[in-house]
Amino acid sequence: MVLVVWGVVTITFFVARVIPADPVAAILGPQAPQEAIERERARWGFDKPLYVQYARYISGLLHGDLGVSLRTRRPVLEDIKQFFPATVELGLAALIIGVVLGIGVGVISAVRNGSLVDHASRVFAIVGLSMPAFWLGLLLLLIFYHTLGWLPGPGRLPYWYPLPPRITGLLLIDSIIAKDWFALKSFLQHLILPAFTLGWLSTASIARITRSSMLEVMHEEYIKTARMKGLRESVVIMKHAFRNALLPIVTVVGIRIAYMLEGAVLTETVFAWPGLGRYATQSFLSIDFNAVVGVALFMALLYSFCNLAVDLLYAYLNPKIRYV
Amino acid sequence: MWRLVVGLVVLGLCLPALGQIPKDTLVIGARTGIIVDFDPARIYEVFTAFVAEQFYEQLVDFERGDFTKIEPGIAESWEVSEDGLTWTFHIRKGVKFHSGNELTADDVVYSLRRSLALNFHPIWILAQYVPDPDMIQKIDDYTVAITTTEPVAELTIASVLGFQGICSIVDSELVKAHATPEDPWANEWLKEHDAGSGPFKLVRWVREEIIILERFDDYWEGPASIKRIIIKDIPDPAAQKLALDKGDIDIAWDLLPEQVDMYRDAAGFKVVETPAWGITYVAMNAGKPPFDNELVRDAIRWAIDYDAIIYGIMKGAAIPGQTFIPKGMFGHLPETPYHKDIERAKKLLTAAGYPEGFEVELLTTDRPDRVAIATQIQADLAELGIKVNIRQMVGAQFYELYRAQKHTFLVAGWGADYADPDALAKPFAHCCTTGPEAKVRQLAWRNMYVDCDTSILVEQAARELDATKREQMYFEIQRRVLDKGPYAILYYPLRQIVMRDVVKGFHLAHMEYYTELWEVSKTG
Repeated sequence: MVLVVWGVVTITFFVARVIPADPVAAILGPQAPQEAIERERARWGFDKPLYVQYARYISGLLHGDLGVSLRTRRPVLEDIKQFFPATVELGLAALIIGVVLGIGVGVISAVRNGSLVDHASRVFAIVGLSMPAFWLGLLLLLIFYHTLGWLPGPGRLPYWYPLPPRITGLLLIDSIIAKDWFALKSFLQHLILPAFTLGWLSTASIARITRSSMLEVMHEEYIKTARMKGLRESVVIMKHAFRNALLPIVTVVGIRIAYMLEGAVLTETVFAWPGLGRYATQSFLSIDFNAVVGVALFMALLYSFCNLAVDLLYAYLNPKIRYV
Repeated sequence: MWRLVVGLVVLGLCLPALGQIPKDTLVIGARTGIIVDFDPARIYEVFTAFVAEQFYEQLVDFERGDFTKIEPGIAESWEVSEDGLTWTFHIRKGVKFHSGNELTADDVVYSLRRSLALNFHPIWILAQYVPDPDMIQKIDDYTVAITTTEPVAELTIASVLGFQGICSIVDSELVKAHATPEDPWANEWLKEHDAGSGPFKLVRWVREEIIILERFDDYWEGPASIKRIIIKDIPDPAAQKLALDKGDIDIAWDLLPEQVDMYRDAAGFKVVETPAWGITYVAMNAGKPPFDNELVRDAIRWAIDYDAIIYGIMKGAAIPGQTFIPKGMFGHLPETPYHKDIERAKKLLTAAGYPEGFEVELLTTDRPDRVAIATQIQADLAELGIKVNIRQMVGAQFYELYRAQKHTFLVAGWGADYADPDALAKPFAHCCTTGPEAKVRQLAWRNMYVDCDTSILVEQAARELDATKREQMYFEIQRRVLDKGPYAILYYPLRQIVMRDVVKGFHLAHMEYYTELWEVSKTG
């Protein structure tokens, strides 16, 4: 894992710096005088040779310092701490929707293979996979917020309502700590549309893998044996088939967790959700070197932990798998 | 766990519709991602300055809607010495900071010296005339003398000292209380806190999420009508529009021109627009062929279909203008001689030695309106036999090339940094050498347009104290650049903002950051 992280940091560090654009000029804007840009470049150490900049960065990293963002002028770690909780809330809500709906649709589709329900669920999955998040988000906003007025619009709270004091950064928890029940209720309402937008994308891939995995398992001899033993169909499906079909599903869910926690950029933009995805996009667009490398490092760690968790879960789900 | 989650979701779904904006709260939907921090010594972005305008004040101000008329601010009066070098400002008595401290000459001296000491990039605006902290002196508790390196016109010094940011007055006692040996100017603290005396206080800023301002009841001009201003980050214009339609925000700050058009006759809404003191132009590098030939530059100016750009592409979000000082600014020359005349352009191109045209690369950023303009120019110049290859790139890459004089032909924009023609004459017309030793390295320099006579005139105009003579000088500078310069100025953009019609007293300034919300009220 150390090697992976070092590789990601090194590649991102150098790729970010070979782009033919000056981050200082980008941050200061097109009107800043040349002298100001040169002064600022020196202030950030960008006038030093690349290997010196790299050595400084790695040395800082070893001391837990991800550097300072050019755009926000704050330590990158502080920025990540600020933006990540919102992404966690959205990502987990979307994951719950994705897993519940995805597995449900996949199982029903496999059990009713070839039926109208199967076709409908495949269409549901394909639409989910092919629909751009920003378009789906806007469509949902238009229907449920603008036209029907059933659900609130973008953001985490009504625009006019001040946020409860920040303690954990997780609005769900912070509003409970502050006993701000209006904020809690409102937050849950605001969470529905973005979580569904992001969750549907996962629903689609989880449903597809569940269906194919279940179909494969349903043709196994032990399923026939279970049925011949006279077990109820629901027991056959959930206990014998589904449990054995779980491994590929867990793999996909693991990947989706990382995807959702790294921040779904478009969903966060459309729903004005102040998460890590938006922070990352803004950092890329403004060529904010330290933030770009910091976010890449954070994501690499996130993916590594998710993969590790999936591997450990394999062993739990399939006793035949043992790690030595 | 599952039951809890399902329970919470059901609870969320079953709740009644959420409340409406209170009457005493103004909610603005805007892109706030541009805001870096609120330390006045570093504020430069227009939107940051607009927010800071609500809680910081400067020595002088401008009459609402007329940037040629200077008004008292923190200073109630001022005079200049006979040699035109020393400006003496008399500070208004009884002005309170949000902390309750009284604003005095010490605060003015501290604030300006602090900006000079921190030396962040916007400091050039002040330092070009007042580079040394010793040039700012306290005379007594309510009098400050500021000396300039050379005589400067009253409008120029007022524009500089009225600049939101480096010339904002901070509460020196409060700031000093947050200083540390490593951070003697309390830069870290001021990034997220306010030490101002304006009509509103900054109570909370959650980066890229929300800014909350609350009324300051002891404001020296009287308390504002609105009790609270909430600026909510909504980066997507479509989402801003939805929120405005639903009455969830009072003002949508960043709608696209086609979205603005939908509200022209819509009941319950109003469009507020004003020329934004910006210039959108085509630049031709006069240091490179074929644009080193004056006739070629003129041919290009006569070949462009300006109306197609203003009314077709910008859909009315722009007004005609071909001189670099925009409408509403002192010294604006209202001349628009160029229109599409292909025959005339062809003759000029033939006389320049390019009867068959040539091939050239046109750079643009990836902004959709700029790309559309580039495409229009490509079509227009094709009629002259000029083959234009459009190259799009991100802003950072684009400006890297432009700053390094590596372009030949491009589409770009510029805005006035401060409310004086000097802020535009220097960038557009000052260049006496194309080397790195140049005194001003902005647009004329980037486009390698060397004209020492005009550069001298630009410097003289900045120093001229007689307003009538000064105006004539700017007319002359603009005429020279209009006829021979390296630009084809396409239009002046309009700044457009849409709001619910319950919002009253909102005045959008030419320079967006001078827009004050002190007089804004709501009827519902």
